[in-house]
Amino acid sequence: MRLLLLFALWVHLVSCVLLVGAFFMLLLAGPSQRPTARRWEATVTNWSRLLVLLALASGIVGLLARTAVFEGRPQAALEPGAVWHAVLDTRPGLIWLARHGLLLVLGAFLMMRANLAGTRNWIAARGEALMLGMLVLALVSGSSHAAAVTPDTARALTVDVMHLLGTGVWMGSLVPLALLLRLAGREAGADSRPYAVLAARRFSRTALVAMMFLMTSGVMNALVQVESMAGFAGTTHGRLLLAKLAVLVPIVVLAVVNRRRLLPALSGPDVTVGQPAMRHLAVFIGVETALALVLLVLVVAMALTTPARHAEPVWPLPFRFSLDAVSDVPALRWRVFGGSQLAALGMVAVLVALVVRRGRLPIFSGALALIAIGTGVGLPPLVVDAYPTSYRRPLTAYHAASIAPGMSVYREHCASCHGATGAGDGQAAAERRRPLVDLRSPPASRRHAGEIYWLVTHGLPERGMPGFAGRLGEAERWDVINFIRLLGAVVDAGRIGGQVEPERAWLIAPDFAVSVGPLAPGALRDYRGRRMVLVVLYTLPQSAPRMRALARSYTLLSVLGVEVIAVPTNASAQAIRDLGSVPPVLFPVVTDSATDIVETYRMFAPGAHAELLIDRQGYLRAIWRADRGDMPDTAVLTRQVEQLNEEKTVPPFPDDHVH
Amino acid sequence: MIPVWQVILCVNLTLAVGLGLGYAGWGRRAEGLGRDLEAVRVRVERLERERAACVAGARAGEQQWEARGVVRGIFPDTDLLVVTHEEIAGLLPARTTSFRAVSLKTHDALQVGDAIRFSLRGSTLEEAAIVAITGW
Repeated sequence: MRLLLLFALWVHLVSCVLLVGAFFMLLLAGPSQRPTARRWEATVTNWSRLLVLLALASGIVGLLARTAVFEGRPQAALEPGAVWHAVLDTRPGLIWLARHGLLLVLGAFLMMRANLAGTRNWIAARGEALMLGMLVLALVSGSSHAAAVTPDTARALTVDVMHLLGTGVWMGSLVPLALLLRLAGREAGADSRPYAVLAARRFSRTALVAMMFLMTSGVMNALVQVESMAGFAGTTHGRLLLAKLAVLVPIVVLAVVNRRRLLPALSGPDVTVGQPAMRHLAVFIGVETALALVLLVLVVAMALTTPARHAEPVWPLPFRFSLDAVSDVPALRWRVFGGSQLAALGMVAVLVALVVRRGRLPIFSGALALIAIGTGVGLPPLVVDAYPTSYRRPLTAYHAASIAPGMSVYREHCASCHGATGAGDGQAAAERRRPLVDLRSPPASRRHAGEIYWLVTHGLPERGMPGFAGRLGEAERWDVINFIRLLGAVVDAGRIGGQVEPERAWLIAPDFAVSVGPLAPGALRDYRGRRMVLVVLYTLPQSAPRMRALARSYTLLSVLGVEVIAVPTNASAQAIRDLGSVPPVLFPVVTDSATDIVETYRMFAPGAHAELLIDRQGYLRAIWRADRGDMPDTAVLTRQVEQLNEEKTVPPFPDDHVH
Repeated sequence: MIPVWQVILCVNLTLAVGLGLGYAGWGRRAEGLGRDLEAVRVRVERLERERAACVAGARAGEQQWEARGVVRGIFPDTDLLVVTHEEIAGLLPARTTSFRAVSLKTHDALQVGDAIRFSLRGSTLEEAAIVAITGW
């Protein structure tokens, strides 16, 4: 059924593109009274009538096939109720209705045998057909991936419409142009040869502009739908786009040959140069059209696959490039910099070779050599190992409810080798010949979460690390990865003290659930963009004086934009009651799942009492620990808060998942 | 006989004007109906609350809201009860609020940290007072 859908959509898209191109080419060539030109115009118009019928028929078949695919039952395609529902109750259905209504209007318009004598009448008739065709083609965007982009739906739709109309103007005009050149290239078509040459030249100029439009809108579409190299190389959608580009290359080469070699030859002596060039041009444009039809198959296939930005990428290569690999080694950084400059110089030289006429070959050869040397020097240091899951998105968020179980899994399965803190100093590590990597070190903490997932799942047999696919479920593996990320973050958190570093937000505060009694739980992330949060880990009775002080200053902190979230280290459903009623404690006190929060945040700040200040964007900015005796009084706390309030740089909200 | 281009121009103008008038007439009316529907929904909810309040012996024009929350502060001298509550439909989002409570002194057993269900009655938020408290 999907194959039928693909075929129907392809026929429909080809028909719509050819309809736009047919009338665009007629308008571009202009009216003519010469017999061959009139015959060409009549043929193109007759074909257009057939194309309208074909578009309507394929549209109906496509609708039936789509209904069957949506309903998940092949027989749904023949059930009027299901088809009616697909048309009237879905957005793509309503757009289908509008497009086919316009096609009916266009068909009726083309069936009319009007007298087109006079240039105005002729232009109005062809322009009307072009406008209706363009409307039909543009509406295809309304049920495309672009329509599902949020936010900026309007921009995505505009870019997609431009891409479609550019396709119609360029690709759709190829067939009528090839036909005109073929007719005019014959002996009997000599009367219209100047007309054909003029049309080809006009098309050449227009196609250049259309191609630039197509490339710009194509890049913008790809940025929205594919987003990353991983999506480009690791998803079906991305690979279809890659195949599309591969088909586009010979099309562009043919177009360049046509423009630079054959088009100028059209003006040569009629029999010896002009006429053969015209026939060759017709053949080349025919080949270009055939490739374009293949390209449209790929376009339709892309429309039927999940956009790369939503798909789970499977990285196809055993390596990837990463700047993190050289960030700590100055010598390698310089090598990469030098290599990149050589390659950039080579690219500039390529551009120069394209512009200059003299010495083009040596300049071009030198440019290629520079690019090759620059690449050879600069790229190898950036290579790091990669795996099929390198870009996989974690299953669980960077959340205390994942980190705390991850800690248990780590202690049970990993700590014996990697050590309790991830330093690689576990008891079993002593028996190994090679020292284990420090999981908290930058090379380890900069690895993609998907790569750690691969190593945890499959192990490193050559280094004696077993795979845990059989022992740990997928969620447990992601939990332990979240904990490993926390190990690195804890080392970094050593640089954060009781003074807020202005404009330096970098350490993500793990999310957690804020459950107060039986009320529906909130989350730390709910405060993002609205309020700062002071997380208070407290233990009674030691913390009682501090909690009373916080209760008294809560109104002031609220006014300054701070929410206080109190988390008892001795988790208890009675936590609110235990804090007493004088002074009244009005800030949220976590009574459920407090253990996960305590285990997670105690990694940053151990001890009976600690306070952590999180800014509005969700970054940890200050830590106070009672065991170090650096607890702030209200004045110190409010100064830090005011400092955060005065910050001008607003970093982006951190992602909920580790990378 | 009218030239073809004039016919086409007229048809296009008619289509454009038709679309514009269609939006001005039906499109805007549909938007207006959507707004009216929302207003009626809010009014119906309010009437339902007024009816509930009336059944419970309230004065005319008063509404009654049912809510759940956790007691955070009790001030019997001023008849104030501070509650961290769920969203109260048509009145307040989920937050901690201080409410006036009728005959708070009669709820001797009430303690900070208790999870409660409570009824609020009044014609506005400022006037609303807790008139009944039960366990969650």
